[in-house]
Amino acid sequence: MVEALSNPLNLVVVALGVGFLLPLIDRSSPALARSLFNLALVYQAALPILWLFWLANGAPTQEIQTAGISPPFSINLRFGMEEAFFVAGVNLAALLGGWYLTDLLRGRAAAMSVFLILTMGVDGMIMTRDLFNLFIFIEITAIATFGLLSLERNAAALTAGFKYIIATSLASSFLLLGVMLLYYLTGTLNIDDMQAQLVLVHGPLGLVAMTLLVAGMIVELKPYPANGWGLDVYENAPPGVAAMVSVGVSAGALFALYKILPLVLPFLSALAAVAGVTFLASNFIGLKQKKVRRLLGYSSIGQMSLAAAALVLLTQLDRGAAIPLVVGGLFLNHLFAKAGLFWLAGALKQSDTQDWRGLRANPRLLALFGVLLAALVGLPPFPGFWAKWELVMQLSAGGLNLWVAVILLGSLLEAVYLFRWFGQAMQASKHEPTLSGRAHQLPVMVAVLGLFAAGHFAAASFGVDALRVLAPLYIGIALMLLHSVPARVQGLVSLVIVGTYSYQVLPAQDGINALFGAMLLGGGLLMLVAGLYRGDQRLGHYPLMTMLLLSFGGLLQAGTSLEFFVAWEFLTISSYLLLCRGRDAAPHTLSYLIFSLASAFLVLAGFGLAYAETGSIALAALERVEGNAALVLSLLGLGFLVKAGAFGLHVWLPGAYAEADDDFSAMLAAVFGKAAVFGLFIAIMSLGVKGGGTDIVMYVLGWIGLLTAFFGALMAVFQEDLKKTLAYSSMGQVGYMVTALATGTHLGWVAAGYLSVNHLLFKGLLFLVAAGIVLRVGQREMYRMGGLISNMPVSFFGMMIGIIALSGVPPLTGFGGKWLMLNALLEKGWYWQAGFAFFASALAFLYLFRMIHTVFLGQRKLAHKDLREAPLALIVPQLVLVAVILAFSVQPTWLVNPVAAIMADYLPQTLEVHGSLIKSGLGYWDGFMVINVVGAVFMVSLLILLLLSRFMRVQRVKQFNIVFAAERPERPETTHYAYDFYSFYERALGFLVLPRATAFWNGVSEWSHSLGSGLRVFYTGNGQTYALYILLYVALLYFAVGDSV
Amino acid sequence: MQNWPSQIGYFMLNLTIVGLYGMLLSGIVARTLAKVQGRIGIPLYQPFLDLAKNLGKRTAVSHGVMFYLGPVFRLAGGIGTLAFVPVLYGSEIFGNFSMAGDLLLAMYFMFFGQLGMALGAGESGHPFSAIGIARGLGQMTAYEVPFALAIIAIVVQYDTLSITEIVAAQQGGIGNWTVFTNPLAVIAAMIAFLGMTAYPPFDVVMAPNEIPIGPPTEYHSSYLAMMTMNQAVFAGAKLILFMALFFGGATNLVELVIKTWAIYMVAVVVGAAFPRFRVDQSIRFFLRYPTLIGIAAIAYTQAVLLP
Repeated sequence: MVEALSNPLNLVVVALGVGFLLPLIDRSSPALARSLFNLALVYQAALPILWLFWLANGAPTQEIQTAGISPPFSINLRFGMEEAFFVAGVNLAALLGGWYLTDLLRGRAAAMSVFLILTMGVDGMIMTRDLFNLFIFIEITAIATFGLLSLERNAAALTAGFKYIIATSLASSFLLLGVMLLYYLTGTLNIDDMQAQLVLVHGPLGLVAMTLLVAGMIVELKPYPANGWGLDVYENAPPGVAAMVSVGVSAGALFALYKILPLVLPFLSALAAVAGVTFLASNFIGLKQKKVRRLLGYSSIGQMSLAAAALVLLTQLDRGAAIPLVVGGLFLNHLFAKAGLFWLAGALKQSDTQDWRGLRANPRLLALFGVLLAALVGLPPFPGFWAKWELVMQLSAGGLNLWVAVILLGSLLEAVYLFRWFGQAMQASKHEPTLSGRAHQLPVMVAVLGLFAAGHFAAASFGVDALRVLAPLYIGIALMLLHSVPARVQGLVSLVIVGTYSYQVLPAQDGINALFGAMLLGGGLLMLVAGLYRGDQRLGHYPLMTMLLLSFGGLLQAGTSLEFFVAWEFLTISSYLLLCRGRDAAPHTLSYLIFSLASAFLVLAGFGLAYAETGSIALAALERVEGNAALVLSLLGLGFLVKAGAFGLHVWLPGAYAEADDDFSAMLAAVFGKAAVFGLFIAIMSLGVKGGGTDIVMYVLGWIGLLTAFFGALMAVFQEDLKKTLAYSSMGQVGYMVTALATGTHLGWVAAGYLSVNHLLFKGLLFLVAAGIVLRVGQREMYRMGGLISNMPVSFFGMMIGIIALSGVPPLTGFGGKWLMLNALLEKGWYWQAGFAFFASALAFLYLFRMIHTVFLGQRKLAHKDLREAPLALIVPQLVLVAVILAFSVQPTWLVNPVAAIMADYLPQTLEVHGSLIKSGLGYWDGFMVINVVGAVFMVSLLILLLLSRFMRVQRVKQFNIVFAAERPERPETTHYAYDFYSFYERALGFLVLPRATAFWNGVSEWSHSLGSGLRVFYTGNGQTYALYILLYVALLYFAVGDSV
Repeated sequence: MQNWPSQIGYFMLNLTIVGLYGMLLSGIVARTLAKVQGRIGIPLYQPFLDLAKNLGKRTAVSHGVMFYLGPVFRLAGGIGTLAFVPVLYGSEIFGNFSMAGDLLLAMYFMFFGQLGMALGAGESGHPFSAIGIARGLGQMTAYEVPFALAIIAIVVQYDTLSITEIVAAQQGGIGNWTVFTNPLAVIAAMIAFLGMTAYPPFDVVMAPNEIPIGPPTEYHSSYLAMMTMNQAVFAGAKLILFMALFFGGATNLVELVIKTWAIYMVAVVVGAAFPRFRVDQSIRFFLRYPTLIGIAAIAYTQAVLLP
């Protein structure tokens, strides 16, 4: 009984049987028919899943024979691990899809049976080993699909269905002709048998046979530009059906392709090219698309061609072992994510992506939506992430670097249009998208759960300790459950978690990890405390912050580049979502995400190249890269530079830093930016000092750092907005670290480490002060403030310490950074660079003074008369930072010595330290003595004045008691002396900071979109034209490959 | 640093000498300029009288704590700069606290007083102060460029950042002075010096007839007295630094007086001869030829002096 029930052939038998019975039963009892339909779907889904377990536990691959005769004389089906996996996926999607389609199928028994038969057709495509039989199943699938398309009774759906039939008929005609010819040549229809007789397929006839076979398969995969019909289907079919076409039918086609690949080996390159072009073109065109379902269509076609390309390329490289992970992963990812999105699109009934605005009023839906998109884009922990990683590694190892570029570029484009859509959903709107029944959402939830489960499983199958590596995400999700408890309680829970974690992790770190661990986790904790100043319920704030901070730990603990990359992507996700929380952040979130992903992809490409050379993904193995060292260093360096906001790549930075929630701005600029520096440290320490080509890379890096420092500072000078000033300043400061790192000397690295610590301290301080100001004043334009020193004296003190520590004026910590850096540059022989660095550092005085003066000094606005000091939760972390800055100022060796010792593990120590005296090859600096001398002369000067004051009457005067040249202007800010404060500087040097980088990236975006719209010209919507394309396509294929056979 | 008390005592001596000399120098300059313009001018001791008058004022106005501390920062900046520069070469008494740090320390510490006073002046709430500071800072960023390039050139030339060692390398004859071994660097530095002294054509910062004396507009009585003191000390410290770096330093006080007076006269003579630049003009000016000269100085040092 069990054996009979578990026969895989039942997948076909039950579907056919129930399918034919349904219309009959429906006459007597529609309810029974409905139940039977559901039962059949459940059975169809359960059976292959059970088989997956059995096969995994050692059951043999099932060879199913029909008609009592063994192949090649009869049709045979195979049901092994691969088939079971695909069938399980497809049937699971069918089960959820059937559930989703409940309303549409109600009372339509015929439609139910067609749905069952469609599932059966796809199962058959996957299982059959007979070419002619494959043709039959493809036909069944096509007709069943057409039947389902007509469920939506409107002209568009019907014409789409008709175009679909034209196209698939052509495809199956080619297939049939191909099969005939192959049968003629080999005398068999059985795929395995044919493979054994492949020698017989040669000459012109063989070529024609193969061409036709391939053509039939390719058309099924909807190659660009002969795929307009497919897009029309996605756009106009009922979403439940479109999901089934996108997921089920495409999966069948993909698997069929997999089966016939061994028969058409000469076509591998052409197939790969077709898939690659389709992948890129779909994603380019997707940029221009605003209709939800058509957008999903482009994405579907893109994803399936990516899977096809992966399949073909891995076959070509003879790396079959990776196929299950890569193709299986991509398939499963696409399955859940795309089906889920189609279902969601159906549930929301909004055809235009813009109309998804206001979805954020429904956080649960928004979360589901976000997960599905993240999965499609290939973010961890979803299966697509692991598949893409493995694919890139394998392609790199096979030397197919161009393909890596194509895949990463396509993925980036896909991320652009998908997350633009997400951004629209995040926008506030008066009209919430209308929502249909709950039944439509449940399958989406199951799909999301499926994605998580599959992701975890995929991670485990990579040999990754999934629980540990994915912990930041899981803990973040768990914290989400606390969303209804008071915000500050959530904050405390986060603090406890991160605190405990840091306490466990930090002591175990050594070397550079210890330094950055202390910065990232210590600084992060401090910022977490600062966040407590807001008592409002910021949904998701603390879970995401926790995830972010734990991901820092992930970076530290990463032993392999894979683990590092997972943590890196987690940082991207959590920071992106946190940024989305900012009130006016919407216009900046997309560029933030795109540049973050681009950064991640560059890093991925770098890791791939390193793997290609060393064969290991251990981070420690980076050092062994020799031949490609310069290229790997460039890729990794560029990736981290994007994230660091290097000059030219910085366009995302000011908006993101300025528009984030005020406490998160501090986190981003002071702490998060250090993650990029940490990445650069790792890359440069492993690869930067090998000599040869890497010297050039390091030299260029040095200049990039300086240009970043210079332009960051210069742009900061011209800002009216307090947080923008700080944002550009952060950009500039990171530039110094890059330059110091790029020297590749011990002293330079000490300088970079010192600068990083110092920047964390003062920039955290300054941003927290800014948070307090924005909180109290409610504005960010500096000229709208003034004279706040009397209201917020502690904040003023904090900012003063912060700007002195930034400026490099002795005796505070800043001077140490400048001294170390300039010494490093001079010792390295980078003299002009040193001069340039000096100029950049002098520019900082301009914006620093403007900031503190315009906000705290000068005339106070009447409206600000009663403002209070910033809240305690902001003041306490500020004072902690001030205390640390002062401690390191009093005795700089407390900081220099450990940093120098860490760097001495990598390069020979060049700093001599005698007590408090630090000596480089060129100069010397005794910080302890400096601060004593300065303190003494300051005290003496103060005493003089105090003494003089004894003899004179000092009268404290009111605010307006000055010689005041007043007038009543039309635009008041233009005559405010603090407005456009450095207008003369702008006249002198402003031409340097015209937003050229922004213009460039706008151009890139514009051109990409234009290219996308150019590529669309083929989609006329005319069925005949589409048929012509298909014919021409096949002809082209024939001529293209014919030469090489 | 075994001998703190005597070290401090020596420094007080230096401070007094440089302070008095600085005051005298401003008298000399005022009188020189008057002669150029065909006036008789003030007596040489007038600055001392002014100082005494300001110190003797019995009333003052304060706009707040930072305003009060502004002159303190300013004077501490001047004294501190002097403290980090050795006054006479080869003399323990005139060595000051230059063992605390090298040339970079002195260069960066010069900003201390300016920044501190800028904050104090800012609290006065007077727009002219703020405008003057903005101009001053803007011009400063520009003239620091040729100055830094010149400094880098001589650091490359002498392979040290230590002021004492730079002076040591110039001993043994006038031909060893930087001004003769590395003239390009000195030209760049001297043009930067014109900006630092804020004589015409670079006097928009104070711009007496436009934003009456700029930054210190609201300062008066004892505050102003402290600033006058600082002006003397700070000018002296800067002159000594220039002398040490470019003109062979000094081994005795007479040499010091002659050399620093001569250096100062460069700015005075130029100042007497030129009208005022606008700020953006002066910024561009410094970033053009002086900067090019500075770059050339480094190239010259690398190509000609090092091999």
